[in-house]
Amino acid sequence: MDKATLITVIIFAYLAVTLAVGLVAGRRASRSVQGYVAGDRDFGLLVMYFITGATVFSAFAFLGGPGWAYSRGAAAFYILTYGVLGMAPWYAMGPRVAALGRRFGFVTQAQLLVGRFPSRELSALMAVLTLAAFVPYVTIQMRGAGIVIEAVTDGRIPLAAGAAIAYAIVLVYVLASGVSAVGWTNTFQGVFMLVIAWALGIYLPHRLYGGVGPMFEQILAERPELLSLPGLTGDGEPWSWGAYSTAILASAIGVTMWPHLFMKAYAARSDTIIRRTVILFPTFQIFLIPVFLIGFAGVLFPDSPDRSDFILPFLILRSDLPAIVVGLFCAGALSASMSTGDALLHGAASVVVEDGVQPFRELSDRGQRVLMRVVVVAVGSLAYLFALVEGFSLVDLLLASYGIICQYMPAMLAALYWRRATTAGVVSGLLAGSAVSVFFFLVPELKPFGIHEGILGLIVHIPVLLAVSLRGTPQDDDHVDGFLRV
Amino acid sequence: MPLRTWRRITWAYHLIFAASVIWPVQTLVNTPDPFIIGLPRQMAWAAGWVLGSLFVLWRLDAARTRHLQAGSPAGDD
Repeated sequence: MDKATLITVIIFAYLAVTLAVGLVAGRRASRSVQGYVAGDRDFGLLVMYFITGATVFSAFAFLGGPGWAYSRGAAAFYILTYGVLGMAPWYAMGPRVAALGRRFGFVTQAQLLVGRFPSRELSALMAVLTLAAFVPYVTIQMRGAGIVIEAVTDGRIPLAAGAAIAYAIVLVYVLASGVSAVGWTNTFQGVFMLVIAWALGIYLPHRLYGGVGPMFEQILAERPELLSLPGLTGDGEPWSWGAYSTAILASAIGVTMWPHLFMKAYAARSDTIIRRTVILFPTFQIFLIPVFLIGFAGVLFPDSPDRSDFILPFLILRSDLPAIVVGLFCAGALSASMSTGDALLHGAASVVVEDGVQPFRELSDRGQRVLMRVVVVAVGSLAYLFALVEGFSLVDLLLASYGIICQYMPAMLAALYWRRATTAGVVSGLLAGSAVSVFFFLVPELKPFGIHEGILGLIVHIPVLLAVSLRGTPQDDDHVDGFLRV
Repeated sequence: MPLRTWRRITWAYHLIFAASVIWPVQTLVNTPDPFIIGLPRQMAWAAGWVLGSLFVLWRLDAARTRHLQAGSPAGDD
């Protein structure tokens, strides 16, 4: 069997196992909205650990991370820190959210918010904002899958076809099994990507430079600008401290608030499992170290890929590795892409139906599940169309999505902890913050000190939320107690 | 140490963590050498804070478990 055939066989074997895991997982869940969206609130520690870790670590981490280390040097270190900063608040917030889910039957983030601040318009606004943030995020995952398959097959399977094949598999298991498929495939994929990342991260520097230390010594001698914070921009100019620092803060807030992660608190079997998942999360985060080592290994490599996002497959293919290693790497990268993409598609469908449709037109349990499957296909198709468009970096797109998601933080903290917050205050803050964030995303040259648009949005959002709430009539005490006394 | 103290330590740790990896504190740790187990110092600095979070949250959870076993209400984390 020649090398290309063996690689293709490994990729298809991986996809077949993923599909089988996804389909078998769904047989345990009940045929209800609660089963499809929240896994009957029965996920154990193993699945919660991997669904959280593998969902956070996506094609962005596996391809964008090395791409940044390779082209922007120390700028990539921001990716190492924000995940834990974003996850730590869940130790306190997660059990509270889960308890409210059990008390009121919530399965989405917006249901909690609208439960505390009754407003159908708020529910619809959350659905629209979430969808606007999810589509570029899914697009990143699809492009990641397409990039890997195109690279390892030397262009014989182009990006468009590779992304279509990988995401057809995702669609089948998400449509059939909902969050149970997401949970169990993420467990399989998480193990896979951890093993592959560590193996390659240690192997490549040794093979190319004789070790990790010698690699950085050579980079320091020849490209010292890459080892000084805040690193470089995509154009090779020095990045600003404002942009670096606020990218960490905005991304940390984003991790706390991403709806597809937030919803998983409803899926956990117990509060202890949520807390243990948070405690163990740093062990997943550390896997970015080998990912960066792979990117840095490419810095002094004689050739360079056309685009920095291609550095990982580029190095793999030029390091004379056995075909089986290349095939396994490819499966690891696809794992990273698909384990995030599936959670996003599932999350998008749940949010659109539960928050965007259900408050306006009540559907039966079966009707909701059917419509969710329609939305999974629609969002997947839309993201696929965007994935075919050239001319943007994976990480830039992701940062743009974080700007919108950051705006959920004040509203959610108000819902969980602030007695005096009102519906008008929350809606006004959300609208003002989102508008500011979108404005600075569209006109980045006006951003002061390069500060992330999500943080600029919060600077406007929080005073608006406070001022409008304090000027309005307080909510009824019994109603508020239902949310604050958990 | 009582649960309340561990809660305060945990919150303080993560606030200091956040402050330590952004401007201006991070500018004080911005030379790659000396390398730490082969990694540039800034990268090891970030990794150290990440692993410290694992330790602090683990100790908080242990304190919480002891507190509950002693029959006291956990209160709000």
